[in-house]
This record gives sequence, C-alpha cells and structure tokens, in this order.
Amino acid sequence: MQLIIRDLLPLYFDKDKTRLSDIWGKNIDFKKGERIKIVAPSGSGKTSLIHFLYGMRKEYSGSIGYDDKSIAGFSAEDFATYRKDHISVVFQDLRLFPEQTVMQNLEIKRQLNPYHPKEKITEMAQRLGIGDKLSSRSRICSYGEQQRVAIIRSLLQPFDILLLDEPFSHLDNNNSEKAMTLMLEEAALRNATIIFADLERIDYYPYTQLYHL
Amino acid sequence: MAVSFQPIRPLLQTGTNTVSRWFSYIGLGIGVLLLLCSIQMYVNIQQLLKEGSIRKNGFDFVSITKSVTNQTMGQPEKNLFHQPDIDELKSQPFIDGVAPLVPNDFRVKLSAGDVLPFSTDMFLETLENDFIDTIPPSFTWREGQPSIPIILSSDFFEIYNVFAPGQGLPQVSKETAMGIPVQITAEGNGRQEIFYAKIVAFSDRVNSVLVPKAFLDWANKSFGTKKYVEASRLFIKVKDANNPDLLRFLDSKNYKLNKDKTLLGRNKMVIQGIFTGLGIFGLLVVLLALMLFSFYLQLVIARSKDSLHLLLMLGYSPSWLGRNVSRRFIPVYISIIVVTLAVVQLMQWSFHHFVMYDRPELSSFIHWGVIATGVVLVALSMVTNYRLVRRMLGRLGEAG
Repeated sequence: MQLIIRDLLPLYFDKDKTRLSDIWGKNIDFKKGERIKIVAPSGSGKTSLIHFLYGMRKEYSGSIGYDDKSIAGFSAEDFATYRKDHISVVFQDLRLFPEQTVMQNLEIKRQLNPYHPKEKITEMAQRLGIGDKLSSRSRICSYGEQQRVAIIRSLLQPFDILLLDEPFSHLDNNNSEKAMTLMLEEAALRNATIIFADLERIDYYPYTQLYHL
Repeated sequence: MAVSFQPIRPLLQTGTNTVSRWFSYIGLGIGVLLLLCSIQMYVNIQQLLKEGSIRKNGFDFVSITKSVTNQTMGQPEKNLFHQPDIDELKSQPFIDGVAPLVPNDFRVKLSAGDVLPFSTDMFLETLENDFIDTIPPSFTWREGQPSIPIILSSDFFEIYNVFAPGQGLPQVSKETAMGIPVQITAEGNGRQEIFYAKIVAFSDRVNSVLVPKAFLDWANKSFGTKKYVEASRLFIKVKDANNPDLLRFLDSKNYKLNKDKTLLGRNKMVIQGIFTGLGIFGLLVVLLALMLFSFYLQLVIARSKDSLHLLLMLGYSPSWLGRNVSRRFIPVYISIIVVTLAVVQLMQWSFHHFVMYDRPELSSFIHWGVIATGVVLVALSMVTNYRLVRRMLGRLGEAG
C-alpha cells in the first residue's frame, strides 16, 4: 500500500500555513520502504496529520489516498480492513485498555491478524525492558512502560505504513534507541514505510526524507 | 485463524445494570408468552368451532319465515314468500343473498328398509348449494339415478337419538347413520316411486332434510300438482345477522328470524376477538420488551464506548464486533423462547385435559404455528440487535 496526500490542510488552519510547511498544501507520495521524518514544533498540527492519515478525523481539505483510493469515501468497515492489514500506528496518547493486562492488550491486537507468534510478544517485551510487566494491568504501568507497550502493539500486525506520533515522549534516550532499533527491524522485515512525526530530530533515526511541518 | 471474542468480552461493561437487563428478559418472556398463548388459543377455537361454524366466508346465514298470526292462519299462501317478497329482500343493502328453501309438493315416506323398523311421513327441501355449510362432492342427482344424497340437520339427528329409546329404536352415531341406506317413497299425481337415500352430510346451519335441487325440481314436476312451488322459508346471507337495520326491516315486514343459529357464530366471533386483542397486547409487550432491550444494548455500548472505539482504531471490524456482541444474547433469547414454549405446551395440555376433557378435535400439543412464531421472534430479535449494534459501532468508527 502507498500513502498519497494532495493539497492537505486542516480546516482550522489558515491558508498561509502552507507557505512555510513542507506538508500542508503540498502533494506528496510516500514511497514504499521510505523512512520519513517529520519535524514539527508544538501546534503545527502533528497529531492532526497522523489522525488524518490514519482516517480518525476528517476536518481537512484536500485529499488522502491509500493507493489510488481516496479515504474520504471509506466506511468504518474499509478502515478496519486497512488497519488490520496495511497501516499501523503508535498514538501519542498511547490508548491502551486500562483494565487489561499488558499481555491482554498486546494479544487483542495480535490475534486480529497475527504477523508474529505469541512468543514474540515476550521476546519484544524483554528487549524493551518490560518483560516483567506482561501480567500487570496497563493502568498501573508508568507512562514510559505504557509507551513501550503501545510500540510493541504496533509491531504485531502486517503493515505497509507505520505511523509514529511522538513515540518516545516518555522514554529516556537509551530506551528510545532500543525501541527505534526494534521498529526499524520490523519495518525492514515488511519493507514498510515509516512516517515518524516528532518535535525535533533524533540522531538514531536514519531517515531518507525530512519534512518540516 | 479465527479472531476470538474471548479477550474482547471483558471490555464490554454489562455487569452493572443487571436489574434492568433482567426486567427486559422477564418483560420479553411475558410478552412472548401472551402472544404465543393467544395464537394457540386462537387455533384451539378454530378447531373447536370448525364444525359448528355457521359463518361461511365471513357471512351469517339465517333463515326467515313469515310469522303465522291469527289473521294469516289457514291461508297458506299468505305465509309463503312470493317473488316480489324475494326481490324486495334482495334489494336491501344489508342483505347479500336470498335463497328459498323449496319444499316437496308430494307425499314423502321414509323408512329404514330392513335395517330399522322405522317409517315416517317426511318432508324434503332443497336450497342453493352456496347456502349450505357442508357440501360433499356426492351431493348431486341426475334423472334416472336411483339413489339420492341427503344432508340432514344435526338437530333433527340429535332429536332422533333423544326419542329413539322411548320408541324402541336404537340410538346411532353419525358415522353409522351415514352408512344406513333409507328408502324414500314419493307419492302423488297417481304415481309412486321408491328411491334409496343416503345421508352424506350433516348441517348445523339448515334445519331441514335437504336433497339436491335437481331431484326436487324433477320430483315436484313428476309427483306434484302445482306449477310453481313457493317457499315458506328463505335463507338470507348477511354480513351481520344482528345488524339493527336488518332486524328493523324484518320486523316491519312481520318476518321472523331464526336467530339461535347465529349465536354460535357470535360467540366464536367474540372469543376470537378477545384472543386477537390479547395477541395484539402480547405483541405490544414484546415490542416494548425489545425496545427496553435495545435501550439496554445502547447503554452497554455507550458505557463501553471508549473500549469499542479503541477496538475499531486497532482494526476490529464493526460488523464482526456487532455480530459477536449480539451473538452473546442468542442463548438468552433461545432460553426465553424455549421456556415460554414449554409453558404454553403445559397450558395447552392442561387446557385439553382438564378443561376440554381430551376432546378429539383438539391436540394436547401446541400448534406448529406457535413454534414457528417463536422461532421467527428469535430471528427477528437477533437481526434487529445486530443491526442496532452495527449501526452504533459504525457511527462510533466514523466519529474518529
């Protein structure tokens, strides 16, 4: 699957925002296997962009296409299919089921379209340093731990696009680097595009394209 | 590998409003019970009154005569219906049809031949087939045919059985009576002829001994003296034998309505009306309970909104979720229907056994229509629930 944007702009932004932005109001085809870095200061619409691309919100002008199909006409059912098979996301606000354990949270995602066997969950959790948290309810985990759960969750399905919205906001450098390495490996396995939006540049993300929002 | 609903189930908050859920289950049970009971009783009434029904295609059939008064006594022509009378009756808006009961114009003697030592003077009448409630295909006659089919009034037959022992005659069942060949001797015009007659049916509507019109027309011509035989009784076909306009008209003409035959029809209508009303009430209760249940479902979805939204964000399909959420209630629905059907079955058995003393017209088992209605109700509830949940989830998914 390929992601295409055409003249995209949030309805609540002025037209002159497009002047300084590499993304808003532009036409971009995100190619397969690319590693995109989007640097975006606060308030520049980073989370809006990720939500638009993931089909969660519609308050924009212009169009977004999954391959050659505009997502404006997609039903909830169509989105479900794409989110299961083609596009994965790490939300800035994490979005875990608070009353479920870490393992249950991950298994709910994995069973939908298993890319990895169940044992892989434990392996990934250990790599990111939350191996001992698998049976804890996610609500009692720290933000940093929850963030790592959200990262692992995004890697349990097949995908062509991986959307990252400030995935390391609660992680120290060491843990961020480990998580980044894991994500790069998983994306390479699938020959997938990464679209990584963050406040600033990160040294350990070898981007192929850099955009300023 | 199929996606399992098991890890999803705890995400739906259903536990906290157990009371309202049980209320809707009980309401549904009561409504379904009322509905199914009404259907079963409706069927029972149909079966019980099938034979006794004097209504045919929604009409009442009643006979009228001219009242014999002191002034008209001894003047038979004044007590007969003439063609203008019939035409006048036909022209009334509340009368849908008129047919004379044409009597025999010759002497008729009936005996049971060698089977029973029984002989009596008799009368025969004929009526248009449309007006007779029980017409077997054998009720026809052609000139030269030695046997005549007879339709006998059930009342006459019962009267015979009441008086038979006192006369030293055996009582007979309807089935036996239909097997006994009787001899009919027609006499008049200086001629005499013997026919064999056989009862082919009993009528609850017509108090008479009916023979096919073809036979009586021929016999009246052959043995009778009059050119044209007029009837002292008419059968009229009306929408409602209790119509005040009809009664007023008949009174004004001094015609007498033979009303007792309409009573059964009236009673049946009233009872059917009651059970139809009860059935409609039951249906309303079912609807109300289903509505309550849909509110409960909406509440469950509203309470679990965040979880369901997140599931949709993770890629769960609204139709899969809708199917699984509504599927959870299949066992409940099936239990309700099974329990209700069991109760209706018990009631039917008790009704048949204790109230109707095992009358053969009825069955101890519930009618298949009742079971079919139950099945349809389950299917209907499942489909509406599924659609409701799916629609709500679809909205949730599009809301982003």
